[in-house]
Amino acid sequence: MASLIRYIIRRLLFMIPVFLGVAILTFAVGNAAGNPINLIRAGLKNPNPAVLKALTDYYHLDQPVWKRFLYWLWDLIHGNLGVSLSGRPVISQIWPWTFTTLELQILSLILSIVIGIPVGVYSSKHQYSKADYAITGAAIFGYSMPTFWLGIMLIVIFSLDLGWLPSNGAVSVSYPWWGDNTLDWLAHLILPTAVLTYVSLATIVRLVRANMLEVMRQDYILAARASGLSERTVTYRYALRNAISPIVTIIGLGFGAAMAGAPALETTFSWPGLGYAFTQAALTLDIPLVEGITIVITVMVLIANLITDFVYAFIDPRVIVQ
Amino acid sequence: MTDYLTPSTRDSVNEWAHRLPEKLLEISNLRTYFFTEAGVVKALDGMSLEVNKGQAVGLVGESGSGKSVTAQSVLRIVPRPGRIVAGSIKFEGEDLLSKSDDDMRKLRGPKMAIVFQDPTTSLNPVFTVERQLTDILMLHRDLTKEAASKRALSLLERVGIQEPEKRLKAYPHELSGGMKQRIAIARALSCEPILLFADEPTTNLDVTIQAQVLELLKQLQKELNMTMVMITHDMGIIADMTERVTVLYAGKVMEVADTPTLFHSPKHPYTEALLKAVPSVKQTRALEVIPGNIPNLIEPPSGCVFNPRCKYAKDICMKQEPPLEEVEEEHYVACHFWRELKLEGRAG
Amino acid sequence: MSPSSPKRGAGQWAVAWRRFRRNKSGLAGSAIVIFFVVVALVGPFVVAYPARSYLSLYEGDAGTPPSFKHPFGVEDSGIDVFSETVQSAHNDLYVGLAATLITTLIGVAVGALAGYFKGVVSDVLLGVIQMFFVIPVLLLILLFARVFSVLVFHGLGLTLIVLILAFFGWSGIAFIVRGETFRLKEMEFVQAARSLGAGSYRILFRHIVPNILSPVIVIATLNIAGFILTEVVVSFLGFGDPNTSTWGLLLNEGFPYVRTDWWVSIFPGLAVVFCVLGFNLMGDGLSDALNPRLRE
Repeated sequence: MASLIRYIIRRLLFMIPVFLGVAILTFAVGNAAGNPINLIRAGLKNPNPAVLKALTDYYHLDQPVWKRFLYWLWDLIHGNLGVSLSGRPVISQIWPWTFTTLELQILSLILSIVIGIPVGVYSSKHQYSKADYAITGAAIFGYSMPTFWLGIMLIVIFSLDLGWLPSNGAVSVSYPWWGDNTLDWLAHLILPTAVLTYVSLATIVRLVRANMLEVMRQDYILAARASGLSERTVTYRYALRNAISPIVTIIGLGFGAAMAGAPALETTFSWPGLGYAFTQAALTLDIPLVEGITIVITVMVLIANLITDFVYAFIDPRVIVQ
Repeated sequence: MTDYLTPSTRDSVNEWAHRLPEKLLEISNLRTYFFTEAGVVKALDGMSLEVNKGQAVGLVGESGSGKSVTAQSVLRIVPRPGRIVAGSIKFEGEDLLSKSDDDMRKLRGPKMAIVFQDPTTSLNPVFTVERQLTDILMLHRDLTKEAASKRALSLLERVGIQEPEKRLKAYPHELSGGMKQRIAIARALSCEPILLFADEPTTNLDVTIQAQVLELLKQLQKELNMTMVMITHDMGIIADMTERVTVLYAGKVMEVADTPTLFHSPKHPYTEALLKAVPSVKQTRALEVIPGNIPNLIEPPSGCVFNPRCKYAKDICMKQEPPLEEVEEEHYVACHFWRELKLEGRAG
Repeated sequence: MSPSSPKRGAGQWAVAWRRFRRNKSGLAGSAIVIFFVVVALVGPFVVAYPARSYLSLYEGDAGTPPSFKHPFGVEDSGIDVFSETVQSAHNDLYVGLAATLITTLIGVAVGALAGYFKGVVSDVLLGVIQMFFVIPVLLLILLFARVFSVLVFHGLGLTLIVLILAFFGWSGIAFIVRGETFRLKEMEFVQAARSLGAGSYRILFRHIVPNILSPVIVIATLNIAGFILTEVVVSFLGFGDPNTSTWGLLLNEGFPYVRTDWWVSIFPGLAVVFCVLGFNLMGDGLSDALNPRLRE
């Protein structure tokens, strides 16, 4: 138990320099034109003077660069992300977006794990069968296509041609789809979730299949069979437990990648989440907003990684010793 | 473990035992092939073996001779792409090949078990020692978790592990090679099987530990009155542990005899070569190495499968496969020239 | 008497090549890749309309669906989708290959150093590798791309995009190389080399690196696919170079018109899918060929 705690602390400590690294990179980009204000001016012709004044204070433009960085970092940690060009504080804008993005991401993650693992195991047990080829083929297509493009295709088919599902937003503005507010929310969730799930599934199925094939060759599986354990026990309790640990890592990284990929998917569906906001903010050079979103997403990714590490340690205790 | 019997019970058991088939395991003309991308690998190609109750029998040959596949075939856990294609396996008089998988599973553990070669890979790395033992006990003996744990503890004591309570909760990677193999033995014996296959159980261990583990196996075999098939490439272990031995090469039987007979008067060139390759402190001549490599099992040599490496080979050896012939009682050999050849055995 | 060893020569690469030849999906992937390379090289000379040209507008064909004259249709602005798609091939391939080349060089160098030496430097390198591995790279790429396109006068340009992608994309290879180097340096052939007087750098580059080539080749191939996909996302969102034909740019232009001019979104997308698919299949084939798993 003690070594488990030490392991968690070690992982936590690792996250700190990573966070700092991202902070430095973000800060560096924001100051690429000397200071963020210059950058904003490069994008906007007539910025709001009141906002500019607020930002000048926030960024402590009268200080040398390294002090500015420390002030900014200090503000960050205390949740002060400054004021966006719209005049509103960044933090208050980010909260609703965060939930909207998470709703999509987490739902897809859960679905892709719940579907992906059994399908991958099935595929590995029926290697070379027609079903296996079909599954593997679908998986390869899945991670060969840009996620958002699949979204566009589905929009064209299901929304524009067939009119079965809505194509944008998270909720309808005027008339609730399918006549009910909850159903409306559900209807809007279907397409983006389907797209994200399919692409995540592709990776998970392939990995589970590959790992299971590898693990099932091992001596301890043969030994388990030699002890009379049923095929089901051998597959799901003995083999899967061993096969799953690299998959846990990949899922963690995949979640991070999905979060990072949110801009494209959300833009496609006009899904009002962090990704969509990021894109808009970057295009309009709303630097405080962009920086704020980047930091928030980074923090979420780091938390996801920590959770992954914890789950990994639980599954494969060998890692604690290193 | 097994309580010793009271005199009256012992008599009835003896009477009943006499009516049991003497032969515990009868393998006859077994062919196990592996259907790989590169071709069909004939791992066992007409192999026969007979083991009597309570015997310690050896199965010797180089790697690739099919020794491990024999054990896997009997338990019917031959991994894909392998399959038993022909032959028969009888255990306690019953035909194993016609049994359903469910019935076989009831035998694996309580009736027959395998101790594998490398304990590092034969123990599941993500489960504690306790879990690996209790899973089996709870399955076959219908015990509760606590009862199974207690039993697991006594099993560890039985195989000579110090501080068994600590080891029970440990993971395999925390233990030494010798300890892991003892645990693997404990696992194999957990349901008191009648037949135990020991597949190169000491090959991956340090020399000093090897002797301990072999001693342990000998002890357990006597105590539990188990029938043991010792699979190895080491003639020294054969001499030490077995009463009867079968020599296997490229999936076929070369010679079968009682151990002393095999050592003193081998009748097959391969056996002679194996004996010559074992060093001994007294010898003064150089070690003789068997030339060549193990044959390609996809396209084995025609005729006698050993002919490319046999220093006595003649024309007929490349054309005709020699049948297994009786030399004397309980001594069989598959060689065209066993009558003519004067082969060197070993004295001690 | 049949021989007991393989009949043909068994050099490591020869064996791998033979295995690759037997792998159907790997061959299919390679065929697709070759197809795209040919299209990229030959296409620009063969198509009817120059890159980024609004010629079709003046021909009165703006916004028309696929037809004989315009196999992939025409954008509302007058750009012929087919010509554009074909002429984007060499740009996208350039991005994929260039970024892969740079990241492979950096990744192998950093990974080998991190894996071979012990001590603070190697730990720090490992930390840096892990950092770049974990962070939401796409966001930073977008950010960098946007800021640079504003600040750099002649626009972003493909090369700058390649550099940004490479800056953030080397950690995958570095991580694997580090692992392999770490594993290999403990092996006996390294000790043998050292006992014959070889110094660290010599061992590293003459003995260890050739042994890590196999996984590196596989990952590099898959990376080409990944970088192309990344470029597509970047351009789609409008963060790319508006003056260079890329598939992502086409998708960006087509998206606002997806209701009416669906062809602008479908065909370039299909081009991306097949090109990436080609590299992925090829990478898988290479992986099978170079890392055979031992069987009975």
